Amino acid sequence: MAADGGSSSLQLPCVFSPKSRQFLALCAQDGRLRIWNTDSKTLHQEYVPSAHLSATCTCIAWGPCRTVKEGPQRKKRKSEAVQVEEKADLLAMGTAAGTVLIYSTAKGALHCTLDGAHSGGVNCVQWHPEESLLYSGSDDTNIVEWDLQTGKTRSKWKADRAAVTSLCVSPDGKLLLSAGHIIKMWDLDTKEVYRKFTGHSTAVTTLRFATTRPPDSNGLYFLSGAAHDRLLSVWQVREDGKDKNSVVSFTLTDEPQHIDLVTSNSKEEAVRLAVVCKDGQLHLFEHFLNGPCKKPLSPSCTVQMSDTKESPMPIPLLAAVLGADTRTVMLAYGSHLQPVMEKVEINTAERHVCLTRDVQTTLSLSMETTVSKVKTPIVNAKSKVLVPGLPGHQAPLKGTSQGSEKRKKDTDTKEMSIAERLGEIDLSTISEKGASKGTASLQTDNFAVLLVQGLESNDASILNKVFQTRKDMVIKKTVARLPLSAVLPLVEETKLWQKPLWVLSCCLLKCFYLQLIHLCIQQLPDLVTQLGVLYHVIESRVKMFHKLTKLHGKLYLLMTQVSANICKCPPRSLLFDV
Amino acid sequence: MVEHGDIRVVHCGGSKLNFRDPVITHDSRFLLCASGEAVKVFSTSTEECIHELRGHTGLVTGVLLRPSNHLQVYSSSLDGTVRLWDFTDGILIKTCVIGYPIYSFYASAKHENVIFIVTSMPSEKRAERFQLVAVHLPQSGDQLVEARELSAVLSGVNPNPAAIAFGRGVRIRRHKDNKKGGWNTFTCVACHPKDDCIATGHEDGKIRLWRNFNHKKEYTYSTLHWHHSAVSSLCFTPEGTNLLSGGVESVLIQWRYKQESERDFLPRLGAAITHITVSPDGSLFCTSHSDNKITIIQSCVKVSAVIQGLVKGDSIRTDLMMDPRSKALVLNGKPGHLQFYSLQRDKLLYNLDIVQQEYIHESGLQQFEVVKAAFDASGLWLATVEERHQKAAELELNLKLWAFDEQTQSFVLNTTISAPHDAQITAMSFRQTADSQTTLLVSTSKDGHFKAWQLAAPAHTEDEGPSWLCDFVGAYHGLVPECCSFSADGSLLAVAFQEVVTVWSPATWELLTTLSQPPGAVSDLCFGRLSCSKYLLGTTASNLLCCWNLLTCSLEWSTSMDVRRLLVDPLSENMAAFCYQSGSTDLFVFKPSEPRPLFSRKAVCSGKVTQAVFAPREEMLESCEESSQWLNRSQLYFLTQQMVNNISSSTCFLFSPLKLVIDDSVAMTPFYLLLGKHRQQQQEHRDSDSSLWAERTALPQTSASIKELLQTPAHVLPSTSYLCSMFVQSLLISVSDAREEKAHAEEEMESEKEEEDSEEEMESSRSKPELVAAATESDAPALTKAQARELRRVRKLDHSWLAGLLDS
Repeated sequence: MAADGGSSSLQLPCVFSPKSRQFLALCAQDGRLRIWNTDSKTLHQEYVPSAHLSATCTCIAWGPCRTVKEGPQRKKRKSEAVQVEEKADLLAMGTAAGTVLIYSTAKGALHCTLDGAHSGGVNCVQWHPEESLLYSGSDDTNIVEWDLQTGKTRSKWKADRAAVTSLCVSPDGKLLLSAGHIIKMWDLDTKEVYRKFTGHSTAVTTLRFATTRPPDSNGLYFLSGAAHDRLLSVWQVREDGKDKNSVVSFTLTDEPQHIDLVTSNSKEEAVRLAVVCKDGQLHLFEHFLNGPCKKPLSPSCTVQMSDTKESPMPIPLLAAVLGADTRTVMLAYGSHLQPVMEKVEINTAERHVCLTRDVQTTLSLSMETTVSKVKTPIVNAKSKVLVPGLPGHQAPLKGTSQGSEKRKKDTDTKEMSIAERLGEIDLSTISEKGASKGTASLQTDNFAVLLVQGLESNDASILNKVFQTRKDMVIKKTVARLPLSAVLPLVEETKLWQKPLWVLSCCLLKCFYLQLIHLCIQQLPDLVTQLGVLYHVIESRVKMFHKLTKLHGKLYLLMTQVSANICKCPPRSLLFDV
Repeated sequence: MVEHGDIRVVHCGGSKLNFRDPVITHDSRFLLCASGEAVKVFSTSTEECIHELRGHTGLVTGVLLRPSNHLQVYSSSLDGTVRLWDFTDGILIKTCVIGYPIYSFYASAKHENVIFIVTSMPSEKRAERFQLVAVHLPQSGDQLVEARELSAVLSGVNPNPAAIAFGRGVRIRRHKDNKKGGWNTFTCVACHPKDDCIATGHEDGKIRLWRNFNHKKEYTYSTLHWHHSAVSSLCFTPEGTNLLSGGVESVLIQWRYKQESERDFLPRLGAAITHITVSPDGSLFCTSHSDNKITIIQSCVKVSAVIQGLVKGDSIRTDLMMDPRSKALVLNGKPGHLQFYSLQRDKLLYNLDIVQQEYIHESGLQQFEVVKAAFDASGLWLATVEERHQKAAELELNLKLWAFDEQTQSFVLNTTISAPHDAQITAMSFRQTADSQTTLLVSTSKDGHFKAWQLAAPAHTEDEGPSWLCDFVGAYHGLVPECCSFSADGSLLAVAFQEVVTVWSPATWELLTTLSQPPGAVSDLCFGRLSCSKYLLGTTASNLLCCWNLLTCSLEWSTSMDVRRLLVDPLSENMAAFCYQSGSTDLFVFKPSEPRPLFSRKAVCSGKVTQAVFAPREEMLESCEESSQWLNRSQLYFLTQQMVNNISSSTCFLFSPLKLVIDDSVAMTPFYLLLGKHRQQQQEHRDSDSSLWAERTALPQTSASIKELLQTPAHVLPSTSYLCSMFVQSLLISVSDAREEKAHAEEEMESEKEEEDSEEEMESSRSKPELVAAATESDAPALTKAQARELRRVRKLDHSWLAGLLDS
């Protein structure tokens, strides 16, 4: 028995606060009590008991929720009464030295210490649901009833021949279960044994009432789990007293570590059970308790967690509590020193659920929040940026079928080929600009060949060179001489431009594309959607052109001033960064 | 919760913490601060609210420790009382009625049982001059005493509590706009606890230490300068060794007294410092900040705790939302952040940094602010709009779409769309569909367009995930869209372009129909849900609440209410309308399909309510009472803005189902409007003033032909000549009509059934406007007939509801 007691104390206590589950109280390996806020997922409080290393905390129990005081001024003005949610406040901790510490989370300080009654370590503490009473079971085989108003022992009795490892008070506060060598049910009014149950072969670690029905209707059930036992047993308290053996058992994959249970109030209501095993898995059960069931029941759903690494490692679950809704479960996972709390919706239709979580990132994010209360969402390189002019910033243009038909007709009626049109433009530009430059230098008046080469070889430097051209004439001629086959690649290329600064140099070029587009549309009606994007690019850049010229002007002014003053003072790099 | 229940408004939090300077108790364990109509007691170590001292009926304007008993505290309020509390147990000990609103108050250990209060001058009509009054508190064992011994000390003081401080002796210093040159206005004052020295803070950021003040005219002063803008608070430590100062820079500075060149800084406190206090033993400092926060700082200048309330800036531009994932209330908080606030616990969970740029603490700078936000139904996507308005012309807009990443339990930026629109975004809405596959976001803007954004895989199939692209740009006659709404199943999109509601199909982006109710632009739109999904409700600027039936594309009913906020319960078909009427806000809860409202309450609060939200309950309540059933699935929260003494204090309310009385005389609007259409409104006018002229002017509006004219889309209207003749006809008949009205006055006992028949007739004639409009001029007599019937009916209607409205 002593060895078993030792193994059970290895389990670190980890308890969610009742009702709203606002806090998670956890006693880690370092003997410190940490209270985590499950809303903001941050560390709420840390408490170091004065003897945290010698008298380690063995068990934790949250007290009933704090009720708002009904002061005299409240009654006068009932309409103004506050509907503040009841807050969990007091926390009872049993220690290996045999003392019970009452800690107040609202004040962040020790409320009182209950000592002098146990000679052995406390294994279990339980609050009375209504009165301010506390029960503790100890290695010294005694159960002590504490009165919290006085801080003194109210009664103390020997419960068993072996150490009392677990306790549970019934929801109506009339019965107490204790587990030692066997499981005993006590009547709390008389402190006499009401029933006895066989129990487990190893130390019972958990006792829970599964129903709230009265014991005289054969409807009272409770549940027990033990160390090294992969079965949870359900016991029925029967009228006839033939209740030595368990009626139902639930199979687990390992010894139970944390149990949460939604009690059933009537026969039609199923008992819901969430059991976190020592191997870090969560098992969910749902069962109607109405008499014995021979076969051990297997879980309706099993939840495991793994990390996001290439070879996934399991993340151990620490505790789980069921929500009001059948699907929501509040989980605590990770290490005891830094658990992660999360409310998840579990698809209970599936037998096995695996959740992948990146615990490291979550923790690093929540750590920041603790002090500043500011959460920074992740912004990584994967996020896309849409600036005006990029495809997707405006709605795509869709060439309607009707329109394309029309255009086809148009092309039929008009017999001019693209070459002729280009020739026409070419002639017109030449005629406009006169003969002075028209025939001057053949080798430098256009970049058409260069552009085609650049597009074919996808050479950025060549393309850059072409696009940086500022001479109107050259651009005009380039456009005019461009073969039709090069138009599409050019359009593709312009689509990929994402730097708005290019606009300045390329805007003029774009204006000339318009001519080209007019021609192409008539030839190739399926181009509409493709060129629609280009249209948006041009539209947005024309819109930007005004602003950019302004900026250019300002920059130019700055630069000239800087260069004028350069001898007087060193130039600031800041100015150039504009 | 109490079963036999009344429905009532309950203050559930969000009040200001930084209204007045907080007080730290002698043992440094508790911090007390005024918060709305209560005093809150916080634990300095755990940041938890331990007690709430309630009892005042007005805004609490000051909290002071009782000098003679360190376990008791005084609080003063605008309700004209000073109350004494035991803060460790939260018990009211004594109430002292003074009878004048108290704006701030002071006490000194030297003066037993005397407090000094600042109250408005009773003689002045305008409450803009204030005086300092000494009040002798009567000594008696009674709970409720009345203070009668008042003596004025000074008049013309500043109501700002920073302007008065106690010195060593019997000395009160007052400052009120003692202008010495342009920028030397005093902002705050503090007295050295031991020396003859006074520190004053100035608007230009200087701190002056005045010495030898007791000797008249012989004082000297030295200047300390670090702050670049006004010093908002000054405080000496109890021993007088240090001087603390703070301002808009959000840096706490600790000056060594008499070694002023040495100073310690505590930067990055998050927001402008409004008050600084020091605990009586000097071990803790605390600063309150403009973002409704109190920071507790250890004397080694290290932050130990932060008590954060609901951040409420100048305006709540994002409206209230519920995060479907955490069930927290979401609204814009600190500049550039979205705050997540737990309504159940009245606690700020966290601020989500949306803009991710350093906020520069300087007044007058225009910086990015979150102006719109929207969640999709599952909470997987969050869309935010941030805006910087530098000059009138240059507007910087960013639309950011965040995806919730399960693995890291955090929002991850998916797409940033810079300049999504050319002008401000007026509304944003996600399509609320059950399957999260086809997510769609619609944003409407003042540039006259609305854009639909869709999650799509990129065209160049690289390793990138899906991102958001524009799917459609819609416009309607160059009008400005004001609001948009998706139907519950996501199959329809309604966008209100000023007076016209356009209904689009998101699948094909076809304009399905337009609805309109001419006078006044549509300001709020929402679709009915569940069994009422065929209805579309809208409110117009001309105080109309309209309900359109989408199957017939016609107006089902409308009512004249000044609806400030219309919202739909996401879990039921119920709708809530907040109406502003004569200084207070009324609440109506109704189903669009049912004639009677489920719940109505006059004057739920004073002032306007423009922000409200339905919050789903964790557990469904089983309330059998019909009247409170609408609260079974969700709770209704609304935000008020109480303007008290030019100080806006925000409060949040919640409805808890407790009891309900339905007043039958107020039996309400949608019902009578089902019968009365919206002509009722004009009839009211007619009833109230009986002059013939008023009647005549009212008539053309009520005439059915005009109605037709206004309701029919312009493109199906006949030629103007037709309309003109109709219009003239309708005007002509009014005289005969009045006569007819008189004739029919006796026959008021017409059967209800006939009434309804005529109603249906009206209905059918309306649903085919083209027919009527295309008919010949001989239609006019028929119209007059209908009109006559209408008038008759209207006369018969019971107007007792109106009486009820006016009386209450």
